[in-house]
This record gives sequence, structure tokens and C-alpha cells, in this order.
Amino acid sequence: MTIKNTSVLVILSAILIVCFFMNISLGSVSIPVSHVISAVFGTSDHESWQYIIVDYRLPKAITAILVGSGLGISGLMMQTLFRNPLAGPFVLGISSGASLGVALVILGSGLFGGVFAGVLISKWSIVIAASLGSFLVLLAVLLISAKVRDTMAILIIGLMFGSITAAIVSVLSYFSSAEQLQQYIFWGFGSLGNLSWDELWIFFGIYALGLLFAIASLKALDTFLLGENYAKSLGLNIKQSRLIIILATSLLAGSITAFAGPIAFIGLAIPHLTRQLFDTSSHRILLPAVFLIGAIVMLICDSIAQLPTSDYMLPINAITSLIGAPVVVWLLVKQRKMIF
Amino acid sequence: MNSISHMHFPRIFILLVFILSFSCKEHNTKAQQELPIPNVEVENVSLDYAEGFSITVNESFKVLTINNAWPDSDKTFTYALVDRDMLPKITINKDEFDGIIATPVQKIVVTSTTHIPALELLEVEQSLIGFPGTDYISSEKTRVQIDNGSVRELGKIEGINTEVLLELQPELIVTFGVDGTNKSLATIETSGIPILYNGDWVEKSPLAKAEWIKFFGALYNKQQQADAIFNEIKTNYEDAKNLASKVDQKPTVLCGAMYKDIWYLPSGTSPEAQFLKDANVNYLWSETTGKGSLALSFEAVFEKGKNADLWLSPSYYTSLDAIKKANSHYTQFEAFKNKQVYSFANTTGATGGVLYYELGTARPDLVLKDMIKICHPELLGDYNLTFFENME
Repeated sequence: MTIKNTSVLVILSAILIVCFFMNISLGSVSIPVSHVISAVFGTSDHESWQYIIVDYRLPKAITAILVGSGLGISGLMMQTLFRNPLAGPFVLGISSGASLGVALVILGSGLFGGVFAGVLISKWSIVIAASLGSFLVLLAVLLISAKVRDTMAILIIGLMFGSITAAIVSVLSYFSSAEQLQQYIFWGFGSLGNLSWDELWIFFGIYALGLLFAIASLKALDTFLLGENYAKSLGLNIKQSRLIIILATSLLAGSITAFAGPIAFIGLAIPHLTRQLFDTSSHRILLPAVFLIGAIVMLICDSIAQLPTSDYMLPINAITSLIGAPVVVWLLVKQRKMIF
Repeated sequence: MNSISHMHFPRIFILLVFILSFSCKEHNTKAQQELPIPNVEVENVSLDYAEGFSITVNESFKVLTINNAWPDSDKTFTYALVDRDMLPKITINKDEFDGIIATPVQKIVVTSTTHIPALELLEVEQSLIGFPGTDYISSEKTRVQIDNGSVRELGKIEGINTEVLLELQPELIVTFGVDGTNKSLATIETSGIPILYNGDWVEKSPLAKAEWIKFFGALYNKQQQADAIFNEIKTNYEDAKNLASKVDQKPTVLCGAMYKDIWYLPSGTSPEAQFLKDANVNYLWSETTGKGSLALSFEAVFEKGKNADLWLSPSYYTSLDAIKKANSHYTQFEAFKNKQVYSFANTTGATGGVLYYELGTARPDLVLKDMIKICHPELLGDYNLTFFENME
């Protein structure tokens, strides 16, 4: 912990707090700051503003923080585990699994006829399907990782899951109505402002569990940077650490995908942005830094997507890709040797 | 993750609004007087509203021009419509036309349910031999033909079953292109079957869309009948509009619903908004402009529409319970609390097609009457809703 790194973390925390308040003060409806503050404390006399702040903007801002930080952390863990700068939270096929679950629920009725036709597609069925989908893929990855010694093989298997999912989804979409396709496509756009407080608590519970596993893996992550053989000679239980890291990632990325949809590029780009700011490869510093930067970037992305003062809105994935994709391109162009 | 950019939204919507067609219920069509029709008419077909097609007549055949087959289309399609008995007697330069069609048509394939009512109104539904996605068709007349096997299932519009279609050998295919020609019909086109792009859905007003019955009239040598049917629809529409215009009380109206947290509703310049205007109601977004749908944030819609009297067409939801389960924010709207939510999603045919998507284009008079009945219940006392129903 150098003084410089500590002070950067403190500054980032301050920025996060500012961004949080900026995020809940900005939106399509112009609400004066005094009302924003009184609404947070439940004393606003303007009924619809009170509802917008407390039941729409606050859960949305908190979701943005969970999504940004969670994806950033799982991206960091994956990049370390696979020693691959282009790994992200979804390399294990987590989002593919979630997409498949959602596709089966939304598009399945076209193929399975009456089985799903009467089932109401509520938010919960989508959340459950996405969680189940990512969990099953993860289970498969875990079983394979217990057998396979090479981490790269797991990476490739994750990518294969992605291809299989894409194939199944395209078959499903062929047999589904335009209405169902539309629902599925919109799920793919991702969304932050769709959670009620109850859902947010459940989301937060799963997220917190994932975060605990991530924090527990800090030391293992640092060791992994040295390479698996060296880590082994240091007495690290490779399989067990790998399992915990994968579990943490899947809890974080899986719950995020279930509740907010597949959010593009954040998990991939945030760790790289963070490494530019910190001259360290220690996960003790990188992890909180990624948490803060991920949350800040996501709050800013959301504010941009809201197009403050205009009634219009952009899908969140459009914004995250616009910010994330150039970072990835820049990485490839720069070809700087990554510190792993 | 997702390659569909925001720019495609209106397109996706147009596609959806368009492809989605289901249906049901009987509807009354006044038996049209069969009029003696001369082989070739010498006057051009006059159009009051439609801008996407025109029909001119020269000494031996008619020329059908389609100049706006999809939004911002820069392609013009021309077809020679030649009387069957004239066909052997005249020579036509094939290169001048996108297709030569013998009239009246005896074997046709259409690809949108919006085309079905036109065929029925003209009493030529017997000529229909194939349709992609027959489950979407709700009209009982045509359903009988599907059930007895005289209308073949052609699969899906995006991937039409080329082999079955080639085997059927229709004289022409009436389809629609969302943003260009339909790729799945390329093989058919090279086989020499003319493909006509019906642009009714691109028209800017409900009556202009309905006027495309004249396009079908020309194909079946039934211009007078098509004119008579359209004039009756137009008169009904205007009468309903006049009736509504005399009311002072204008209820405020909210439309659409959210996908995730983005609320889609018709812009003030859309045909849907035209209906609301003609029904003399205060649509809260009537001042907006733009093609396709408006994509607004939840809070903007909430701020404006929280106290709206009525909520029309909340997307695909079929019950208040479904709306509530989809998003708890919906329950905060006064129209929801007072159960003033009306949807056409429940009026479906025997196989699940939504009637509104099938018949709404051809019968704007019925759509308008539905809206008037909902918004001004004291008018149109004995009229029963055709498409919409109050959601439970």
C-alpha cells in the first residue's frame, strides 16, 4: 500500500459519492436538488417526484453500482486466472448460460407449443431462468475444471458453451413469434432501472456472497500472476483456489446478468482502465480500485443513457459498448505487455 | 453482446407491428353489389389518401406503380396488369416492367394478415392458395379454407418455404419489405413469379392504409367494388369523427408500455395518434414528432401520464395482473388503479392471432369507433367494441 495508491483510492471514493448524487439528481424529469434531498428522506411534498427518486432513481443508481463493480471485479479475476488481457466475466459461458435460460423461457413457447404458452413471463421467471442457466453452465465448467489441469482449456470450453448457446438460441428464434423475439432482444439490451426494492435486496445478497469469495481469493489471485507452476511450488492449492475464483465470478456475473441483462464490455474494460491508474499488480489494491472505477463508470454511463432533461433514453448497452469497445481496441493497438 | 443498435428501434417496431398478426371473431361485411365490370376501364383509378401506389390505364392494359414499398424507398416498381383474354393479343416489352400479371388473378399468395381482409371484402378469398404463418389468420372465412387445406402453410415470412411456394406456382405474391426487398423471396423472383410489395403500412394515415383495397381491386378487375367499399369505410370514419368532435370533454390518454425500463409509445405524427386525434381525446404525447415509436424514460412518462384518465394498448399484456407482475411501477398510474386500461391483445382468433393486426388496417372506421366508444362512452350507445376490451 503506497501513499500514492491510497490517496488515489480515497479520491476515487469521493468521486463515487459525487457520481451517485449526480446520478440520482439527473434524469428526464428535472427535479430541483432541494427536492431530491427531501425525497431521499421521504419528506418531499411532490408526490410523483418522491416516487421517481425513491422508487426509480435510487434503485437504479444502486443497481448501477452493483453492476459496474461486480462486472469489474469478475473481469479482473478472470484476466488474472487466465492470464489473458481479453478475458472478461463472461468467458466461462456465464452470460451464454443465462441467455439460454432466458431464451428458453421467452422463446420456448414457439417450439414447445402449449407448455410455456400459458406461463406468464414475469420478471421473476426471467431472473430464475437466467440464474439457473448460468448456474448449470458453471456446474459444467466446474466439473470439467476438476478434470482438466490446464486453465486455458477451461477458457476454450467457456467459449464453446457460448457457441452452442448461440446456435440453440437461433433455432429457438426461428420458431418464435416476433413479439417473443422482441422481448428477448430487449432483454439483451440490458437495463438498470427495472428493479424494485425487493428484487434489489435479493440481488444484493447474491452479490455480497460473490464479493466475499472474491475477497477471500485475494492472496490466491496474486499468486496466480506468477504462473500456475510457480503458484503450485509456493504451496497454493490450485484446484481449490480456481474453484473459489470461478464461483465468485459466477455469483457476481450470474446475478448481474439475471437482474440487469448482459451488460457489454464493462467487465473487460474496467480492469484495464484501473491498471493504467495504479502502478501495482497487487489485488489488494486493484480489487477495491476496480470496484470504485466500475461503479463510477456505470453511474456515468447510466446518466448518459438517461439523456438528462430529454424525455428520450438510450439502452445502457449502447453506452457501455461505446465506452468499452474503444478501450479494447486501444489495448490491441497499443500491444503493451500486460503485467500479469 | 448485441449487434442491434438503437437506430433499428423504429424498424424493429415497424417489423413487429407488421408481422404480428393473429386474430378471430366474426366481422360483418356488407354484401357488396356485384356490378358489371367492363374488361378494360378507360379512367385512371383515383386515390384520395394513399401515396404509395398509383394505377394508370392505357388502351390495352393497366399499369400499377408502387413507389413507396418501404419507408424512404427510392425504388419504383411497375407492373402491367393485363386482362386474361387480352394477354394473347398484345405484346408487352417485358423489360419495361417488374412483372406482367394476368387479371383477374386466380392464384395468389399474400404474406401479411393485413392483406386478408381486402381479399374477403372483394369476395376473392378463394384465390388465396398459400400463406406463411397461417395460425396468425383469424378471419373465420379464411380459416375455413386453411382447415380444409386449400391454403397451404408456407412456414415463416423471414424464411418462407421456397419449395412449397414453387410447387404452388401462384400467379403473384403480395408481400412487404421492411427496409428493402425480401431476401427469402429471391429464388422465387428468379423463377419468374412477380412479387408485389404492398406498402399499406408505410402510409401516414389510417384512411390511406385502408385505401390499398384499391390495389387489390385492380388485381381482380374489381375497381368499382373496391371504390365502393373504400367510400363506405371513409364515410363511416368521417361520420364517427364528426360525432366525436362535438364533445367538449376530452379524456387524457396514455399509451404503450415499457420494455425493461424504456417506455415505447406512438409519436404524435403516427397513424395511431391520428386515431386518437380523430376520436377527440387528449393524447398526452400528441405534440411529439418522429417516425416509429417514441422511446421514453419511465420517469418522463410517469411525470406526464400518472394522472391520465385512460391507458390504451399496454403492449402485449393481456391482464392487469400481468401488467402488475411485469413491473410494480405500473400500479402507480391512476388509469391502472381505476381499471381504465384497454387492450386489443385479448381479441384473438381460433389460433391465437390478434384481430387488430389483421383487420385494423382495412377497417380504420372500426378502430376509430372503438376509441370513441372507450373515450366517450355516451356516444355510439349500441356499438360493441370490435378490437379493444377493458382489461380485468
